[in-house]
Amino acid sequence: MIDVRGLTKVIDTGTHRVDILKGIDFSVPKGQFVAIMGSSGSGKSTLLGLIAGLDTASTGEIWLDGEEITKLPEDKLAVLRGRKIGFVFQSYQLIPTLTAEENVLLPYELVGGNGDGPARAKELLNEVGLSDRRDHYPVQLSGGEQQRVALARAFMVRPAILLADEPTGNLDSTNGQHILQLLLSLNAQQGTTLVLVTHDQQLAAHATRIITLQDGLIVQDVTK
Amino acid sequence: MRFTRTAFKIAWRESRASSGKFLFVIFAVAVGVGSLTGVRGFSQALATMLLREARTLMAADVSVRLLAVPSPEQLKVVEAFDRRGAVSTRVTETLSMVSSKNVENPAFVSVKAVDPAVYPFYGAVTFAPPASLAATLTADTTAVSDDLRIRLKVGIGDSIRVGGVDFKIAAIVTGEPDRLISGPAVGPRVLLSREGLARTELIRLGSRAPQRILFKVPASIPLPDMVAELKKVFPDDQISDYKQANQNVTRALDFATSFLSLISLIALIVGGVGVATAMHAHLKQKLDSIAIMKSIGARSSQVVQIYVIQTVMLGLAGGTLGVVIGSGVQHLFPAILQQYFQVKADIPWLPASALQGIVAGLLTTLLFTLPPLLSIQKIKPGIIFRRDMPDARTGWRQRLREGRGAALSGVLIIVGLGALAVWLIGGASREEALRIGSIFTGGLLASLLLLAGVAWLLLRMLRLFVAVTPWKLPSTLRHGIANLYRPGSQAESILTSLGIGVMFTLTVYLVQHSMLSEITASAPPGMSNVFLLDITEEQKPLIAAMLSKQPGLEKPPELLATVSSRMISIDGVLLENYQVNGKPRRFGGRRILTSSAALPEGMTITQGAWWKNPKPGDDMVSVTDWIARGLNLHIGSKIEFLAFGKPLHATVSSIHRIDPHRLSSRIDFILTPQSLQGLPTVYYGAARMKPDSVTTLQRTAYEQFPTVTVLNMADVIERVQEVVNQVAFVIRFISLFAILAGATILASSVAGTRFRRIREVVIFKTLGATRGRIAKIFSAEFLILGTVAGVMGSLLAIAFSMVVMKQLIKVDYRFHPLPILIAIGLTALIAAAAGWLASFRILGQKPLEVLRGE
Repeated sequence: MIDVRGLTKVIDTGTHRVDILKGIDFSVPKGQFVAIMGSSGSGKSTLLGLIAGLDTASTGEIWLDGEEITKLPEDKLAVLRGRKIGFVFQSYQLIPTLTAEENVLLPYELVGGNGDGPARAKELLNEVGLSDRRDHYPVQLSGGEQQRVALARAFMVRPAILLADEPTGNLDSTNGQHILQLLLSLNAQQGTTLVLVTHDQQLAAHATRIITLQDGLIVQDVTK
Repeated sequence: MRFTRTAFKIAWRESRASSGKFLFVIFAVAVGVGSLTGVRGFSQALATMLLREARTLMAADVSVRLLAVPSPEQLKVVEAFDRRGAVSTRVTETLSMVSSKNVENPAFVSVKAVDPAVYPFYGAVTFAPPASLAATLTADTTAVSDDLRIRLKVGIGDSIRVGGVDFKIAAIVTGEPDRLISGPAVGPRVLLSREGLARTELIRLGSRAPQRILFKVPASIPLPDMVAELKKVFPDDQISDYKQANQNVTRALDFATSFLSLISLIALIVGGVGVATAMHAHLKQKLDSIAIMKSIGARSSQVVQIYVIQTVMLGLAGGTLGVVIGSGVQHLFPAILQQYFQVKADIPWLPASALQGIVAGLLTTLLFTLPPLLSIQKIKPGIIFRRDMPDARTGWRQRLREGRGAALSGVLIIVGLGALAVWLIGGASREEALRIGSIFTGGLLASLLLLAGVAWLLLRMLRLFVAVTPWKLPSTLRHGIANLYRPGSQAESILTSLGIGVMFTLTVYLVQHSMLSEITASAPPGMSNVFLLDITEEQKPLIAAMLSKQPGLEKPPELLATVSSRMISIDGVLLENYQVNGKPRRFGGRRILTSSAALPEGMTITQGAWWKNPKPGDDMVSVTDWIARGLNLHIGSKIEFLAFGKPLHATVSSIHRIDPHRLSSRIDFILTPQSLQGLPTVYYGAARMKPDSVTTLQRTAYEQFPTVTVLNMADVIERVQEVVNQVAFVIRFISLFAILAGATILASSVAGTRFRRIREVVIFKTLGATRGRIAKIFSAEFLILGTVAGVMGSLLAIAFSMVVMKQLIKVDYRFHPLPILIAIGLTALIAAAAGWLASFRILGQKPLEVLRGE
């Protein structure tokens, strides 16, 4: 499903050079739940961003569902993300000018869907327990609620891959647990390949495989 | 399609959330559109009225405009038309002097004599109190304009003296149908009947008698045929039917409209710059939203769609508000122009000009938002991950690629603005519109680049000054200056947009001012300042005697004999077939001739030689250098004139230079003395008097020679000044909109940095600053911005005025510091007012609210 080969990311600011990823290789089969762990600055978020095609790799290849994405132009990447990838961010990243329901519906509209979108958005909001708040704007929702909207949005187009970057990082433990449970149950229902970046051991414990990064390199790759 | 709806939603809600900031943007666009629709709406209303009232504006179907009394042959043709069913009447318009018992000095007026039984064929002369023309004007009565009534301190029933004869004022003239066609009046109006004019003896054989023969033409005579027939017998005179006359006025109107439209376009472009800077700042704030959308699958084109919708909404809102402002501006025009054109144009709401304004507003807005809109493509979705990481250095290839986009949008803006200018100029000739359009766009681009460059330089110099100054500047001033360099302050765009408005308005003022002072100052010692018109042969020695006895006379007066004539041929070629450098030359045939035995004092011969004792029949002529150039005349050229039916043949024996100090040298053709013998002669006089003696001369001359007009140059200059002032006022009025648009951009930019300002205010307050102190810091910032913009605009205005004066008016620019200082001061105040308008609520922020909210 996901194939990463010899991936590096270097940033040259003109005054100094930062090697964020120094050569990453791994494969994730369909339906696997992988947790990527590591301390701050180990390169895990960058890796996730590269897998999503949000940034350009310096060298190496990333194959998603049989397609090499590092050479794809910006707009093709956007279309690919829209169809295949769901995203959950640490700080929710909802569009402030859209209501909860409109936020959930957005990926569907971006790919020009014309089917059960509105019904599915309602259903997903129902599943994350926010059916009564669907007309609220992000600013009217608590952090936990915003992240639940973000979860619903991520599953909207039934993506083959779900990428989550510290999804509980900004939440208290109760809300964090709630989000985790929702993530796992939605993942189980949809049969999605899930790649989750975290430095929370408890969260990682639910994964079937844990990859640990340190200074831009994989130092451990354990499958249960 | 689905996303388009969402795009609309996002665009609308974002605009609503940023309404404070966007309101200013809307207003900046509205100001430009307002001035544009105002100018064009009024012009269209006037053009429609001209078309509808074309006959009324001429008061006839066909008019012949002559400079002298028509000859018997010409009158025969007029009578022949009358026999075929046409009706004709003569309207004489001349300058003269009138007096009343109630004031000491006579007044210089424009006399118009009509036949009340037939004039006007279309439209009506109106009076206060209302009366008919036939009932008002008899051989003994007159009607005068209100300004003359005031000047002569007279009322209805009182008498005034015109051409030595008394007339009773029967009414006050309030409107004449053909006022617009007969051109701006030189003096107050005195309306007489033709019998009245005949009593005055103002018009004599050989004297100037500008007049029009008006015809009402039956359908049986086709107008073009009649015009063609009349042209044969009135070869030197201006003949037009009402349609052509209307075309002439319309052409002048079109020119004025194009010119004022281009000035309005500058205001609109300044507004466009405002939209661009506001949109740029707005997109910077929306980076996160854009990155999120891209990360969940939005293509750049979809994100661009949102902001294009937003731009169109802003453009449309600005355009619509502009149309409302424009309808107000449109109604101001008649009041401004009333003095010169007694036109009561209905000012209807014209959808065409409103639509044109909205389209121009929308196009300008879209053009100027191209660069920020294109920058959306460059926003990487990855920034939501790597916010804290430095930006990677881009390779030269990428920089070139990105630069190409910016260059492309720059080219598009220039081409688009050029096309907009060409569209607004319109007119019959596409080449001319293209030419003016390119000059306008090129000039504007150069000015904008120059202003941006100067703004950049001044801002850096100011920063350097603060850094190196040995003086201890007050902290409020230092903070105020520092605010100019805050992130997102857009000081350069503000300076550029405010500066262009100041530059334009001040240039118009400086050119106007210099031109007027030039006119006043160009009467150097020695140059005549009093002219006497229409002196007869008998009056000549008496006037010469009177002049020599006048107190205040600074140099001996000149009295010049002139004969009115028509030029027939040059070197045997009829004037109508005469060509200069292969091109036909339309050089009006009517010419004033004079004669002289000796070379007039002070005159310079540039070619050939002056005659010595020429014999009768040895007719020679000296011509002015500019006429020689225009008609390709050289020594030996043979010219044939016709004066009062007598042919005159003369050979060019010398070419002389015009000397403004000598009346004689201003006459284009000076002949040998015998040549003009026996022809009706009219004398013109010129004298140099002490300015305060002129009115005494006017009074004395008027008492002794009531038919002689004494023209005081000071009065003429005053009239010229009035006209120049009026034109300049209209231009400045329209160019002020550019300053307003610039000030709005300042307000918009201040509104755009609102959150940063709130944070600062709160930090200042937390650290113990009072509201007054913060107010001083803000004021310093706005005043400095305004002052710098004023200085910049003034510097460029001086440079432009110098170029305009030197190149176009051929006069040196005179530096006057006062208007420039006033301009700088006013700009500073306008800037401060605009800045405060956008930020006064910030001062009231409670620190804790804001700090908690972070």
